[in-house]
This record gives sequence, structure tokens and C-alpha cells, in this order.
Amino acid sequence: MDFLGIDSSFLLAVGQIIMIDILLGGDNAVVIALACRRLPEAQRRQAIFWGVAGAIGVRIALIFFALQLLALPYLKLVGAALLIWIGVKLLLPEDDDGHANLAASDSLLGAIRTVVLADVVMSLDNVIAVAGAAKGDIALVVFGILISVPIIVWGSRFVLRLMDRFPVVITLGGALLGWIAGEMAITDRVMRESFFADAVPGVVKYAAAATGALLVVLVGKWLASRQLATREPVEIPLDAGPSSGHKP
Amino acid sequence: MYTLLIAVDGSEGSRRAVDHVVRLAAAGLPVAVHVLNVQIPVESGHVRMFIEAERIEGYYREEGLAALDPACAVLAGAGLAPSRHLAVGHVTETILHYAEKLRADQIVLGSNGGASLRHRLLGSVASDVAARASVPVTLVR
Repeated sequence: MDFLGIDSSFLLAVGQIIMIDILLGGDNAVVIALACRRLPEAQRRQAIFWGVAGAIGVRIALIFFALQLLALPYLKLVGAALLIWIGVKLLLPEDDDGHANLAASDSLLGAIRTVVLADVVMSLDNVIAVAGAAKGDIALVVFGILISVPIIVWGSRFVLRLMDRFPVVITLGGALLGWIAGEMAITDRVMRESFFADAVPGVVKYAAAATGALLVVLVGKWLASRQLATREPVEIPLDAGPSSGHKP
Repeated sequence: MYTLLIAVDGSEGSRRAVDHVVRLAAAGLPVAVHVLNVQIPVESGHVRMFIEAERIEGYYREEGLAALDPACAVLAGAGLAPSRHLAVGHVTETILHYAEKLRADQIVLGSNGGASLRHRLLGSVASDVAARASVPVTLVR
């Protein structure tokens, strides 16, 4: 199918990648903003620049490895399992584990270090998802990385508002990750060679993708319903703040 | 005493909401005023792994005070004694939660009128609150 002369499956993949970047890139943006905010203006710009440059570099390196690895038997199955897990985690309310063990220092280098380290950890899910959505198309991979940069740098507030207003976006995102995971699993070399003569038929691919999407949504919703209590608003004490300003 | 909860976010609409409350008080309504700012949570497990809790809380406090302080200055200037509240959570849910907790008789919100791109894309928290609150809601245009 064509749309304005462009293959529609290409457009679909582009849409998927943008969605992944929006959903999984928000964390990076927050870390960059928070790690750099106490620096003086000029240093902050520098730290953000190098932090983002680091993020791109890390992504390119990771994606390169991911694409190589995904061609090996079984590894798409592993990738699919990871994606299902990432999708389910997206649907869960904030878990309370993991507190900062790296104190972000207020120096330029300290901030850059925090940002780049965070990038390594946080790009992993993004990279697996983008590699899955791109299906080996290097042009799509490059596009996915490029489009994630402005989202990381400027998009976090918008993304946070979007998720606050429309929690259904998160559910759709989880379903998308599950969809990609299902497709990824069924096209693993082992699956293909043991169940299908040649290429995996389109119907089977869609069925697998739909199963993946359903799996993520059902498991995510079920787990989330078991820990609902965490949704209470949290009061932030104002007395410790810099000004107690205009209290009468 | 008539308890009012004003939810502010530092926008032009919030400023008008505060002005409206000042006018109500000036007209002779004996009011107890609570001013609330809600911050959308920024922290996921990942963010907490890299940024200490105090720094995240500091960020919320700074952003929150930027919205609360000007509003409270106007109210204090009009001789009112506003109480400030800052919370992190889902915006609509949190406003409703505080209205109940503070036993507010009325919620006052600014509405930005639907002209901005953000409003068109994200809709309005104000109309959400109005639809779900169990006390009267005033949307100030």
C-alpha cells in the first residue's frame, strides 16, 4: 500500500518509533533537567549539550549491537521477552525500589557523568523497542535516534502533561510494545525455521503481534490493580523551601 | 467562614482566579482561602535511581512556589491570610482530594479559554474538575 508514494508499512514503523521515543524518552529528559538545574546558566547549557551528545552516542552504539544480535537465533525471543517486561513496567504505577545511589554532584563533570550513566541504563529499553520496530532497516534506526533527541531535550513537560491528562496513552504504549514483541518473537530465526517453510505469513505475524499486545495490557492491568493504593497525592512540605514568603 | 480552594499553576488564568477571590472578599464574603499547586510527578524508578529524593523534592518546591508565591502575595495584599499547599500527583485527582480534605465549600480555578495549542491538545483540567467535583466550582475566564 502506498500513501503519497511512500510505503505505508514504512510510515507505520515511523509512527511506532515516534511513539516509543515519546513513551520511553521522558525519563532521560527528567534526569538531564534535574541533574543540571543547579549549575550556572552557561555550564548548564554545556552539560545539557554533552549529556544529549552522550545519549545519542550511547544509542547509536547500542542499536548497532542490537541489530547484529537480533539476527542470531533465539535472541529475538529474548528481545521479545524483554519488551513484554518493559511494556508491563510502563503500565505499573511507580515502584518504590531504587533510590539514588549516585549522588549527582553540582559540578559540570558530575552532571555530565550522571546524565551519560543514566542514558546507558535508560536507552536500553528504547533501543530494544526501536530495533524491534525498525526490523533491521538502518534508515529507520537512524530516524528513530534523531527523532528521540528533541523529545529528550524539550519534550518532557509535554509528555508528562499528556500522560497526566490521558492515562490511556500509557496503555496504548504498553500495547504497542507488546505488539512489537509479538512480531519480534515470531520472526526469530528459530521460530521461522522450525514452523514455517519460508517467510512467516502475514496473518500469523499479526496474530502473534496482537497476542503480545494483549498479554502486556492484561498482565500490566492485573498487576497494577493489585497495587492501586500508591496513587494518593503526596504533600510537599513548604517550610524547608527557600522562602516562606508571604505567610501572614 | 466560607472556605475557598484556589488551584493555581502560575498562568494568566490562575491570576484571574485569584483576582476573583479578592473581589469576593472585598464584597464582604468572609472567606478562608487555601491556595494549592499540583506538580505532575516526574519520577519513575529510573529517575530515582539517578537523582536523589531531596533534589526531586527541591525541584517540586521551586516550581510550586513559583506558582504559589505570586498568588499568595496578591491575596495577602488584599488582607486575606491564605494557606499554601503543594502536592504531587494527578492534577484533577489531587485538586478533588484537597477540596475534600480541606472541606472546601467551593473550588476556584482559572480557565485559559481554549485558545492555546496546549489546551486544544490536552483539554482542560478546569473542565475535568468541574465535571467531577462534589462542591460548586467557579471557572474564572
